[in-house]
Amino acid sequence: MATRRNPEPALVTLRVLAAALAVAFLVGVGPAVAQQPSGSNPTAMSVTEEGLLRELDRVQGRITIPDGKLAVLEQPQGRDYRRFHEGWLPWIAGIAILAMIVAIGVYYFVRGPIRLRRGEESGPTILRFDAFERFTHWMTATSFILLALTGLNYVFGKRLLMPLFGPGAFAEWSQWAKYAHNFLAWPFIIGVLLMLALWVKDNVPDRYDLAWLKAGGGLFGGEEPPSARFNAGQKLIFWSVVIGGAALSVSGILMVFPFALTGIGGMQTAQYVHSIVAAILIAIMIAHIYIGTIGMEGAWNAMGSGQVDLDWARHHHPVWVADQVDRRLDSAAAPAE
Amino acid sequence: MLLKRGNAEAGRARLPLAARSFVGEALDRRAFLRRSGLGIGSVAVLGALGPGSVRKAASVPGPMAGAPVEIRKNICTHCSVGCTVIAEVQNGVWTGQEPGWDSPINRGTHCAKGAAIREVVQGERRLKYPMKLVGGSWQRISWDQAVEEIGDKLLALREEAGADSVYWLGSAKFTNEASYLLRKFAAFWGTNNVDHQARICHSTTVAGVANTWGYGAQTNSYNDLRNAKTMIIMGGNPAEAHPISMQHILAGKEINRANLVVIDPRMTRTAAHATLYLRMRPGTDIPVLMGIMWHVVKNGWEDKDFIRQRVYGMDQVLKEIEKYPPEEVERISGVPGDQLRRVAEMLAKERPATLIWAMGQTQKTVGTANVRASCIALLLTGNVGAPGTGANIFRGHTNVQGATDLGLDVTSLPLYYGLTESAWKHWARVWEVDYGWFEGRFDEVPAKSGRDARSRKKNMETPGLTSTRWFDGALLPPEEIDQRSPVRAMFVMGHGGNTITRIPDAVRGVEKLDLLVVVDPYPTSFASMSERKDGTYLLPACTSLEMEGSRTASNRSLQWGEQIVKPVFESKNDYEIMYRFARKFGFADLLFKNIAVENGVPSAEDILREINRGGWSTGYCGQSPERLKAHMRHQDKFDIVTLRASKDAPEVGGDYYGLPWPCWGKPEIRHPGTAVLYNTALHVKDGGSTFRARFGLERNGETLLAEDSYTKGSELTDGYPEFTMGVLKKLGWDKDLTPEELEIINRIGGAQVDSVSWAIDLSGGIQRVCLEHGVMHYGNGKARAVAWNLPDPIPVHREPIYSPDPALVAKYPTRPDERQLRMPNIGFSVQKAAVENNIAREFPIVLSSGRLVEYEGGGEETRSNRWLAELQQDMFVEVNPADAAERGITDGQWVWVFGAENKAKARVKALVTERVGKGVAWMPFHFAGFYEGADLRGRYPVGADPIVLGESVNTVTTYGYDPVTNMHEAKCTLCQIRPA
Amino acid sequence: MARMKFLCDANRCIECNACVTACKNEHDVPWGIQRRRVITLNDGKPGERSVSVSCMHCTDAPCAAVCPVDCFYRTDDGLILHSKDLCIGCGYCFYACPFGAPQYPRVGNFGSRGKMDKCTFCAGGPEPDSTEAEYVKYGRNRLAEGKLPLCASMCSTKSLLAGDGEVLEEIYRTRVATRGYGSGLWGWRTAYGDTAES
Repeated sequence: MATRRNPEPALVTLRVLAAALAVAFLVGVGPAVAQQPSGSNPTAMSVTEEGLLRELDRVQGRITIPDGKLAVLEQPQGRDYRRFHEGWLPWIAGIAILAMIVAIGVYYFVRGPIRLRRGEESGPTILRFDAFERFTHWMTATSFILLALTGLNYVFGKRLLMPLFGPGAFAEWSQWAKYAHNFLAWPFIIGVLLMLALWVKDNVPDRYDLAWLKAGGGLFGGEEPPSARFNAGQKLIFWSVVIGGAALSVSGILMVFPFALTGIGGMQTAQYVHSIVAAILIAIMIAHIYIGTIGMEGAWNAMGSGQVDLDWARHHHPVWVADQVDRRLDSAAAPAE
Repeated sequence: MLLKRGNAEAGRARLPLAARSFVGEALDRRAFLRRSGLGIGSVAVLGALGPGSVRKAASVPGPMAGAPVEIRKNICTHCSVGCTVIAEVQNGVWTGQEPGWDSPINRGTHCAKGAAIREVVQGERRLKYPMKLVGGSWQRISWDQAVEEIGDKLLALREEAGADSVYWLGSAKFTNEASYLLRKFAAFWGTNNVDHQARICHSTTVAGVANTWGYGAQTNSYNDLRNAKTMIIMGGNPAEAHPISMQHILAGKEINRANLVVIDPRMTRTAAHATLYLRMRPGTDIPVLMGIMWHVVKNGWEDKDFIRQRVYGMDQVLKEIEKYPPEEVERISGVPGDQLRRVAEMLAKERPATLIWAMGQTQKTVGTANVRASCIALLLTGNVGAPGTGANIFRGHTNVQGATDLGLDVTSLPLYYGLTESAWKHWARVWEVDYGWFEGRFDEVPAKSGRDARSRKKNMETPGLTSTRWFDGALLPPEEIDQRSPVRAMFVMGHGGNTITRIPDAVRGVEKLDLLVVVDPYPTSFASMSERKDGTYLLPACTSLEMEGSRTASNRSLQWGEQIVKPVFESKNDYEIMYRFARKFGFADLLFKNIAVENGVPSAEDILREINRGGWSTGYCGQSPERLKAHMRHQDKFDIVTLRASKDAPEVGGDYYGLPWPCWGKPEIRHPGTAVLYNTALHVKDGGSTFRARFGLERNGETLLAEDSYTKGSELTDGYPEFTMGVLKKLGWDKDLTPEELEIINRIGGAQVDSVSWAIDLSGGIQRVCLEHGVMHYGNGKARAVAWNLPDPIPVHREPIYSPDPALVAKYPTRPDERQLRMPNIGFSVQKAAVENNIAREFPIVLSSGRLVEYEGGGEETRSNRWLAELQQDMFVEVNPADAAERGITDGQWVWVFGAENKAKARVKALVTERVGKGVAWMPFHFAGFYEGADLRGRYPVGADPIVLGESVNTVTTYGYDPVTNMHEAKCTLCQIRPA
Repeated sequence: MARMKFLCDANRCIECNACVTACKNEHDVPWGIQRRRVITLNDGKPGERSVSVSCMHCTDAPCAAVCPVDCFYRTDDGLILHSKDLCIGCGYCFYACPFGAPQYPRVGNFGSRGKMDKCTFCAGGPEPDSTEAEYVKYGRNRLAEGKLPLCASMCSTKSLLAGDGEVLEEIYRTRVATRGYGSGLWGWRTAYGDTAES
């Protein structure tokens, strides 16, 4: 195997010489003028790769084909992209997701699920989420989970699945996963927009949030402080979904229509944003799923039937229940007046 | 706009290779043609292959596994370099292209066009069958119907308006044989109105150079540039127009560390590789050249020995040069004097030096004078007649040199014999047709507007009207046109309509015609430029890659091209088309008297043999088909620098590649051809030669014969006149003639046998004997620094008709109005009116035009080639950033370019670039299919419209004609540019 | 084993685009896909140079690294080829490629951009050499026929060279010594530079 040689000394000398000549020439005629002046020596003035890379962060020129991105001759940023994509991203995503799973596992085994209290079953119920709200939630949730799985496939598939399936089957799966990812993006985007419309008014920070957060929502002992329709933890989930979802949507749309709105730099940035936000959001959603399923008894019903036990609701969202009951009383009382 | 991916093409493509295996049918020639003609449901088949899996939308068939591969050689048709094309043919279909490593000219390489040339033949946009315009729509007809209808109409016109009412426009893409045949055809029809693209590319070169030293051609070769120490390119952009020549130019630049000077208004792709670049104002070549010569003379750098021995009249030129001191030159051209001094020093002291030019010098109202100035600069510095020197004139098409040589020209019969009685008699002898018969074919021209009437014989000897002015020949009042009646029909073979200036006038001209016949592989812009509804025919000619014959490259080398595939679709080759019309006109038997015709197709070899039998004047006599074919077989035997094969090479030993003309004598004497013209350092049998003594013996008491200069081994050691039988006798050399030769000479000469010259001696005896004695039969003369028969015997600067500087027009006006070539040339009046009307204020930007590497000529062929069309999808105008900023124009934006005449305008994209200087704009000339903003795609026959259409630059170009050849002014006019 | 590389001598390149159309002709590359292209730097300005570029077949290829389905492979000649059967058209290789080499049949990514296409150094793909299946997906396999890439073979000024990297370097070094100037081995540091193997 040949070892990599340094460029020949003669070559280097010549290159330096040529560069020096070019510089001397430019100094001789004053500042570099835009137009090739009459009487110049174009051969001695050749641009060099190093020079252009020093001037700008990429080498870009003119090309007659009406495809702007092809006018880039060299973009060293591809190396950063690769370093990110193959070096950092698997670690960042892997750690974020695994750390969350481990943390929840530890929590589960140490504290167990949040049990129902006596009387929080089979009592009278109250409608927590109407059908449209539940539809929105589940549409978004389903698409998110599939997007997450197919998205993770881009990063971890070849590392985890390909050895199991073999390249052919894995590529087949990945192709379908990619179709799924691109098409499920739309229900997800719509879902996020609907959620924003439906729930933004209930997710405005209020006076209960600080106390709730201070008490850790009662998750680590102590009583859960009161909250309105959504407690601070839920609000955090909401805002992560809205902001994260928006970031994913925008960067995702850029990727689905590559180079329509941005050049190669923008495309790479979109990838960075998309993958990091996705990793974090997946981690958050794991927590959300935990709390909505095995983490808290009674929570499932809220998105299941939409009806929750009134006592359960009073326990977790007393302000909201009070509000609901008041409103109901009001409306019941009104005609009597 | 056209950024759609290949899959979209599949719908109208022929069955792709991918699908072929699907239907289990091997592609052969018949299947290919069937599919090409008719769209079949390939989309459905493609769809069956599943999503995302299909890469190809093959239109051109790819290689067929297993089918035997035949290799055929032909010559690229896109420029004059003469690159060998190696075609791989399977089952009669052209399936692949390989580099032709053996060719000493291109050594395997190609430019974008050559590398895409397979598509020119197999392309789906070709004209597939004869068509006729009926009430504004195209109808398919048969060849027989087409020939009948067109023939009847032409014969009727001939009867009614005379032979000169039909204009025969030929092509620089013809083979030599087709060029010769069309010239001969026109002679049989009875007209000198037969022309081709040389008119608009190098007619001024031919006139200027031939008038200087004898022959109007590149003196050296592309390969010989490897010997130069200084190369000055002025008025050429070989990187785009002749890319393969750059291989030799850059090799010379690198190996010899040669100077590469580019003098051009544009910072071209060529200029990017220069060692010295000078930016000049368009249209100021003569002052720049004079300015260079001024420094040569001032410093005493001229080659005094060379001038004394081989140049006439240089002393008169020196006086003229004094009028161009550095300050004046800078004022006119914008080039500072010290820069020209550097060029002068290189030209005179770093020899061998050569001047390279193309249309930058020729397409001017002063084209001939420009070229003359270039020649004089070479003579002054002794840079002619040796390797590495010379006038390296880069010509345009494959065979524009050959077509010029073979007389597709209004001023001459084949091979520069002219139109004199002796020329006609010479060719009548070669053709074995009675001279008197031809006389009867020509029109009598009545007296008009004070001009005398012309007899048939006189008309036969009068040059025709030029292709640059054919529409003037149709539109001007009949009394202004110096022939029996105006042009009524155009018969156009392989010539675009958009490469000639003043398109708005040409459109009116086309509309006025009774009959328009376009014979071409593509419909050309002639088909789309006008609103004609009837009387228009399109006949599909095959490309010259589908026919055999020879082509003469710019360096005068002849190369034999094989038929790669049979003519595709219903196309026919030029020989067959001319044969069919000759038969219709009733002179086929006479025209093809000595040419075998098999299945209706005349033999190219026989035509070349006839050329050999008559081509003594220019040395087209030695290149027999057998010798040329041997050269193609043994391409690898020729040296890349000298182009010569070693003496012991089989079949071609000692020959120069392609037997560059002049290749004297009969093929049997094996003259090797002439690689470098006028090189006295070689024996005449080795390709040595002298300046031609064609201008007489003396002028004003000064000799016109060379002094103390002669070719190596010459038995005559001083200048001598051209040889006739009489001269031969005087020297006692007539004894060396064989009895057969003597018999032929006596037959030609009759009573005046002494007057039989080397050029009309059909025996070749005079040439053979002269070569044996080491002398050049055309004489040993001086080159002329003063060409007294030209309008400007010594070049003088004349401002373009539309000049940005009225003060300079006052000092350097164009030549007075005059009648030339059957037409009035009113350039002076137009220039005067432009100054009086302050045109330069309304149209302040100088507009120039030129070539793109991806396209060629009028561009129909190359814009129909999907591999090329993709690379240049929009017509554009190059605008300097300062001019653009003043007008609020940004790169890529649509703009209107307004021309100074006809209220003409063109809508194109702006390309804001420093390539052009401030106040100068530049447009490529290959586009057509848009006219003043309107899309004319609907006017092409369906499926034969080029992929890319665009505005023609010549919509906005203007009046202006060279006084010698009526070359049009395509390089400097005025325009205004505004955002669209 | 030879290590195949491309070298574009910018002091020779005249932007004639022969390499582009030679490639299109040889492999019948559809409209819109540019396996090779020529870019002009400093157009019309001092120092103007044109460079022909395609896949450089990098030593440590970023495209191969980022491919989520590992469709790339490296041949004994050091060429980076890929399998269109495995490619899912995600576009990552384009973002990682320093030279903009990967191309896609469709402009949009909605659904899929189609199978990535790029320069194969005229060496086809994973299918058996010179079969129709290989031709349909990757174009002709010249290397299998003992021929070098057509783009470089047809380069008008012999600016673009293809072949064993060491030979190319030798040719280039000789040229620079002969003519006294050279604007460098464009792209080599990026493509081949950071690794021990050359």
